[in-house]
Amino acid sequence: MRKISLLAMILVLVSAFSLAACSNSSSGEKASGGSGEEKDGKGNTTLRFATWDSGEALKIQQDIAKKFEEKNPGVKVQVEAYGDGFDQKLAASFGAKNPPDMMYMWNFPAYSESLEPLDAYLEGDTEMDMDDFYQGLFNYSSMNGKIYGMPAGFTTRVVYYNKDLFDAANVPYPKDGWTWDDFQQIAKKLSDPSKKQYGVGIVPEPDTYDLQGLVWSNGGSFISNDGKEVKGYMNSPKTIESIEILSNLLKKKSAVLVGGKNQQSGDDIFKAGKIAMWESGIWPLAGFKEAKINFGTVEVPSFGAKPAKGVIASSAVSVAKDSKHKELAYKFVKFYSSAEAIKMRTADLPVRISVVKEMNMEQDLLISPFYKMLERSTDTPAFLLNSNWNEINRNLSAAVNAVMLGQDAEKLLNKAVQDSEKYMKK
Amino acid sequence: MKMKSRVEKTYIYGILIFFSLLFLAPLFWMVTTSLKSPEELYLFPPKWIPSSLHFENFKEAWISQPFTQFLKNSLTVTILATLGQIVSSALVAYGFARFTFKGRDFLFMVLLATMMIPWEVTMIPLYMEFNFLGWINTLKPLIVPAWFGAPFYIFLMRQFIMGIPKELDEAARIDGANSFQIFYKIYLPLMKPILILVGVFSMLNCWNDYLGPLVFLNDQSKYTLTLGLAQFKGMFGVDMEGIMAITFLISIPPLILFFAAQRYIVDDVSKSGVKG
Amino acid sequence: MMKSLLASPTPYVEIKRKKKIKWDKVVPLLFISPWVIGFLAFTLGPLLYSLFISFYDWPVVGKATFIGLDNYKTMFMDDPLFWQSLWVTVKFAALFVPLNIVVALVLAILLNQNVKGHSFFRTFFYLPSVISGVALAMIWAWVFNGEYGILNYFLSLVDITGPNWLNETGWALIAMVIASLWGQGTMMLIFLAGLKGISGELYEAASIDGANKLTQFFKITLPLLTPTILFNVITTIIAAFQQLTLALLLTGGGPLNSTYFYAMYVYENAFKYFKMGYSSANAWFMFLIVLGLTMLVFKSSSAWVYYEGEVKKK
Repeated sequence: MRKISLLAMILVLVSAFSLAACSNSSSGEKASGGSGEEKDGKGNTTLRFATWDSGEALKIQQDIAKKFEEKNPGVKVQVEAYGDGFDQKLAASFGAKNPPDMMYMWNFPAYSESLEPLDAYLEGDTEMDMDDFYQGLFNYSSMNGKIYGMPAGFTTRVVYYNKDLFDAANVPYPKDGWTWDDFQQIAKKLSDPSKKQYGVGIVPEPDTYDLQGLVWSNGGSFISNDGKEVKGYMNSPKTIESIEILSNLLKKKSAVLVGGKNQQSGDDIFKAGKIAMWESGIWPLAGFKEAKINFGTVEVPSFGAKPAKGVIASSAVSVAKDSKHKELAYKFVKFYSSAEAIKMRTADLPVRISVVKEMNMEQDLLISPFYKMLERSTDTPAFLLNSNWNEINRNLSAAVNAVMLGQDAEKLLNKAVQDSEKYMKK
Repeated sequence: MKMKSRVEKTYIYGILIFFSLLFLAPLFWMVTTSLKSPEELYLFPPKWIPSSLHFENFKEAWISQPFTQFLKNSLTVTILATLGQIVSSALVAYGFARFTFKGRDFLFMVLLATMMIPWEVTMIPLYMEFNFLGWINTLKPLIVPAWFGAPFYIFLMRQFIMGIPKELDEAARIDGANSFQIFYKIYLPLMKPILILVGVFSMLNCWNDYLGPLVFLNDQSKYTLTLGLAQFKGMFGVDMEGIMAITFLISIPPLILFFAAQRYIVDDVSKSGVKG
Repeated sequence: MMKSLLASPTPYVEIKRKKKIKWDKVVPLLFISPWVIGFLAFTLGPLLYSLFISFYDWPVVGKATFIGLDNYKTMFMDDPLFWQSLWVTVKFAALFVPLNIVVALVLAILLNQNVKGHSFFRTFFYLPSVISGVALAMIWAWVFNGEYGILNYFLSLVDITGPNWLNETGWALIAMVIASLWGQGTMMLIFLAGLKGISGELYEAASIDGANKLTQFFKITLPLLTPTILFNVITTIIAAFQQLTLALLLTGGGPLNSTYFYAMYVYENAFKYFKMGYSSANAWFMFLIVLGLTMLVFKSSSAWVYYEGEVKKK
């Protein structure tokens, strides 16, 4: 027994030291010896490109990558589809210093330390026409004044409505410029719990990111503009009022709880014709068309005379700091945001003004509300304002969840503020 | 024992059929979902039988990504890993079950402990190690470790071996057989049911493994079926028809295997000579 | 018995007696060597690395800073979610472990009754275990939805208004238990294999002695099944503590963290909040808890588990 445990101890220590040593060196030389340098037999360079897209959207990315390969002989682009395992896989590969060269990105506060700032590349590039992009999008891919990702696609959020249900109830379709009062009345009229039909579907655990549009519309906010204060913002009467709109809809049975990303999603319930209105981004639009739903889209409602505000979900493409082929990776990013590639991306919205004009997208009745919402998305989301937002948001999300399930909003948001104080850097 | 009353039999069948329905109803929905047209997918109350069967859904889902290539990779991983798992786990289980040696109980506790390691935190160091070995983006991380046994299977086999009376090998030992001969000639044949059981479990485990392939594979040409399946579920959208269709298709091989293997696991034991 | 095994004399080795004794010590190690090598190569290193990193603040992307025991301090003193998730997991385990064992055992006993079509019933009961996680979660979402779910649809047919399973704090965990029980096929199969290993002669002898079915079950079936039960108890405890997929895909830990399992807490700290050091500290604590539980069950096993071929230490 003693001998074996002694032996075990020695082995434990040896492997511990070797691993520690290995992990230290792997930050430097070891990774380059590993699979970082990928060249196949023909001397081709392989660029690795990670995406979270799936299905049709993924196929589009593969097509864009092929186009890039055609234009750049000797370069192979390996499209790596991580789906909803994106963060997990990216964390593992960054942690082990073997990240993909280029990747989809939205969570810049979490990753920016390991991403290559693109400013130097953009400045030296005379072909790059930065003015053709919707400028608001750069807000979402910059940190501390540096650009970490080139916009590739985006979506704003609008209200989808089922025309057949509106017709059946003799309710006129909503128009841009409508208010939350209108919304509540319409939702009431379109609800018939005995038929399991409701005015709108509400997610019990709404992403607080998406809620920001609603809160901003009411002149509220989760956090101060300098990112240093949540007290008096997250629990301000305006913030409380806007969140209570959703919980009141539920209480009055004008709304039904539906799953978000998990569970049976609101997309599906909307397809089933059981909810008349549904707030979302561009993602379900193709599916609604495919399911032959008679639907329209409209801007989100406003609070009286106050302008309605929105929030952008943006997909940008970034380059890893540890990439061995940064120049080439930038070339890919540049192609990816070129008019040619942007035109191929039909699963979300074009980021270039010239493409939108050329494809007459602002005339498309289903699409134009998304661009109107883009003009309304001028506020900076909270996660870009405070580096501890993740932690703060944990408290906020818990509070919002409880409010949707019928608990008191003011009390819970006060508590969320209190619990978040320790994360506020003064 | 054999003279069961009619009432008792009715009860048993009743319960069996009731449970069968419980287990099958959601699966039935999965199959019909994969055969529905998009308009019929989300009706409520749900439509149990689609008004027309869209078998082309399977084909569309299958060709939407290189699933034939994924199938090849899955087969390679599953067959090689399962083979290794059976051989190595049987050896180790025999070692733990039939010998007394210093530190045995300690080592066995260590073995059990390794079952409890949460992968969330060993994943990154393991990735580093495989990266160091140059195994990232190859099938090796999914196959090679299986050849060193897995605690679940070792434990299962050990429990089985410990139920075999020891008189058998003492007799063999008197005949001059060494430990390896006893293992090979006496125990392996007796262990057939448990070997097949472990084979079924291990095969299913590899076949449905999502995390390993996700973390260790990069290039689509190396992907396994579950990774292909996951490509219907992105961060912002789910293709339910695709998921249901592919899940149905990739469930068929393990089901056939199970149906064929089960009688060796549970029916032949009594005939194999182990007397309890 | 142990002595006879270790020093079993083989006729032709009289001359090499000394060497033979050495072999006796080496042979068992040869048998277990694959696992020992695999453990040293693929498990021990990563395990120790995670222990090592649990003393660091490591945001995965970026540099690790040594912070001593701070992660552990935060966890115990300053993180309500730690206690919440631990409590959820304990509740889940307390419901799931006994239910899973009983359901699997009952089904196995039923299938062991020589009924016609048993191979089909077996396949049906095992079927859910074949389905991979993503589809499983979708199926359960469809079953449990409060308004449009199939479970409440059936309940409404018999005039019961079902709860909103996944959105009520009292029901969500129960829904999780039900969904997890659905995958009992593995346990059932292991029980079935154990049951089939019990010789029919024992029952016949007992019948002749006049023992009724119930007595037979408690005097023959249960004692001879104890090694299998031990295995199933330990692996189910481990599974309960590692339960993640369903929570992640079905409820996301909600409502109000009522299904926020410990494994999910570890997972989110690592991959949502990118606090790998903290997550490692969480994981090590869970590791110790499960290890302690397992050792408890295992140590108790000498009192209730009966091995026919056991090498008893006298």
